[in-house]
Amino acid sequence: MVRVIVNKVTSSIATIFGASVVAFVLLRVLPGDPARLIAGSLASDEAIAGVRRQLGLDQPLHVQYIRYITDFFTGDWGFSFSSGVPVKEILGSRFPATAELALYAFLFAFLSALVLALLATYREWPVVDGVVRALSSFGLGTPPFWFAILALIVFFEQFGLLPGPSGRLSSATTPPPLLTGFYTIDALVAGQFDILGEAIKHLILPVVSLGLVPFAFLVRLLRANLLEISSEPFIVVVRSKGIGRWLTHVRHALPNAFLPTLTASGLILAELLTGSVLVERIFTWPGVGALVVDSIKRQDFAVVQTFILLSASLYILVNLVVDILYGVIDPRTRIPTTEAR
Amino acid sequence: MSATVSQSIEPQTGATAARNSSFREAVGIFFEDRALLLALAVIILLLGLAVLGPVFWAKDPTSVDAGSALEPPSAEHLMGTDGAGRDVFARFYAGARISLTVGAIVVTLGAIIGGLIGMIAGTSGGWLDNLLMRLMDAILAFPPLILAMAVTIGLGVGIRTAAIGIIITSVPWYARLIRSEVIRVRSLPFIEAAVAIGASRARIIGRHVIPHVISTLLVQAAASFGYAILTLAALGFVGLGAQIPTPEWGAMITEGLAHAITGRWWVGVFPGLGVLMAVTAANIVADRARALLDPRGALADL
Repeated sequence: MVRVIVNKVTSSIATIFGASVVAFVLLRVLPGDPARLIAGSLASDEAIAGVRRQLGLDQPLHVQYIRYITDFFTGDWGFSFSSGVPVKEILGSRFPATAELALYAFLFAFLSALVLALLATYREWPVVDGVVRALSSFGLGTPPFWFAILALIVFFEQFGLLPGPSGRLSSATTPPPLLTGFYTIDALVAGQFDILGEAIKHLILPVVSLGLVPFAFLVRLLRANLLEISSEPFIVVVRSKGIGRWLTHVRHALPNAFLPTLTASGLILAELLTGSVLVERIFTWPGVGALVVDSIKRQDFAVVQTFILLSASLYILVNLVVDILYGVIDPRTRIPTTEAR
Repeated sequence: MSATVSQSIEPQTGATAARNSSFREAVGIFFEDRALLLALAVIILLLGLAVLGPVFWAKDPTSVDAGSALEPPSAEHLMGTDGAGRDVFARFYAGARISLTVGAIVVTLGAIIGGLIGMIAGTSGGWLDNLLMRLMDAILAFPPLILAMAVTIGLGVGIRTAAIGIIITSVPWYARLIRSEVIRVRSLPFIEAAVAIGASRARIIGRHVIPHVISTLLVQAAASFGYAILTLAALGFVGLGAQIPTPEWGAMITEGLAHAITGRWWVGVFPGLGVLMAVTAANIVADRARALLDPRGALADL
């Protein structure tokens, strides 16, 4: 087991190395000239040469790469070209908003997928199953940013049921005292229930918009797994012991169907990361995703570069953890891996 | 659906009888499957609009007319006009043309490049296989849209670089799939037989390996088509793909964002509907293709 983990960790490190080379080539080697971008199009040649020296762009490529990679892993992510603030600081201040949104979006996606997949496969009612499958293909085919606009048109502009694109709270409300950075939790701890209600109202549309793709993906996966498990002999055994249909479905089929969805965690994370880039700006949500889109518009690529490499690292890390966890939870998957070595 | 498919795959007595009845069943499944028929109808409709749009709808997708800005849908402007007075319906079918063209190019090039890489890795083995697969892993280490963003930043913003970014993110899917198929086919007895009768390497690959992996490649290509259209729109939306006057669906949705909450819903809703229709239709076709062509039926229930 230890050997399997060591193998997985080393191959992940190799992947991170490969990914950093890809990112380096794309973001540092290819762009016309970042120095010109920073110095401005009217800068003199000497000024540009100065910036190049300052950025180390006059060094050979392998030296540049080593500097690039040590800077990244030591947290020296440079300064935002447009505001001059360290990238680390901007990202840090934006992170809680994105984390709160992503957490609730994940819970929404996961719980609704669980319930709907259970209903769709229980007794295999064709109408319920049809509706669930239609919802899933709608979710997989919908651009999340378009869904967000649609949701705003219906629930804000037409019926006025939910707040419009005003971020995490109305502009007149002061945020709850800072504790976790999650407004819902902070407001609850401080006992400010009116602010809690407002934070929840502001969360609903962004959460559903961000959770739509992960939901569609999960419900599809869970449904297929449940159908497969339901036809296995052990389910017949459980049923013939006299255990009810629903209990069999929930207690015996679900845990077995659920396990393979763990491997999809990396994909869910990827959906949440890219989804935040696509959805946040629509709700003027003050998170990392909106920051990335604004930085693209301002050609502030220091921020965007850091975000890209950070997402890749996070993605690899989650996939590694899931890989190891899966071996711990399901002993059957260990055997082939050890045999292959 | 899944039940009928797995039935048609079950072994039957007599090779010709099996072929005939499974073909008839496949035709039956095809016409009974209303979702598939609807999906094909949607694709034909969008293709028709993309090709014939300018023939029966004379308005220009990019000509600005400040006098008729933000008009609601009417007989004059089927889908209304946008903030600069451009006809949204003209932009819609021009958008269909862009999305379907880019989707087709991306899928074709992605399948060729990825298929070749998978074929080379699978047939050669050794260090070349290792190197190619590590490169594919490095690409897969990024969430797809985020890598496509990096590519467009590196190569310069625009619809062409966006397409390159989407191709790069989709190549590893083909490569890994084809490589594992090639390795599986390589160990089958008939390949051994071909080697034994002295067939050359090129002949074995051309006559025996490629025909075996081509259906896998096609199914993956169909599945990537929807991904390509969706990602193109997403890149357009964040400002890395097509730029605003270009009638690309994603860029049009960006434009619609500003008007959405002031009651001018038509600017952004119609292009998004186009993306939804194209992607969902492509996904349905890809699912059915997978269910019909994958003899192991592992994914038939999806």
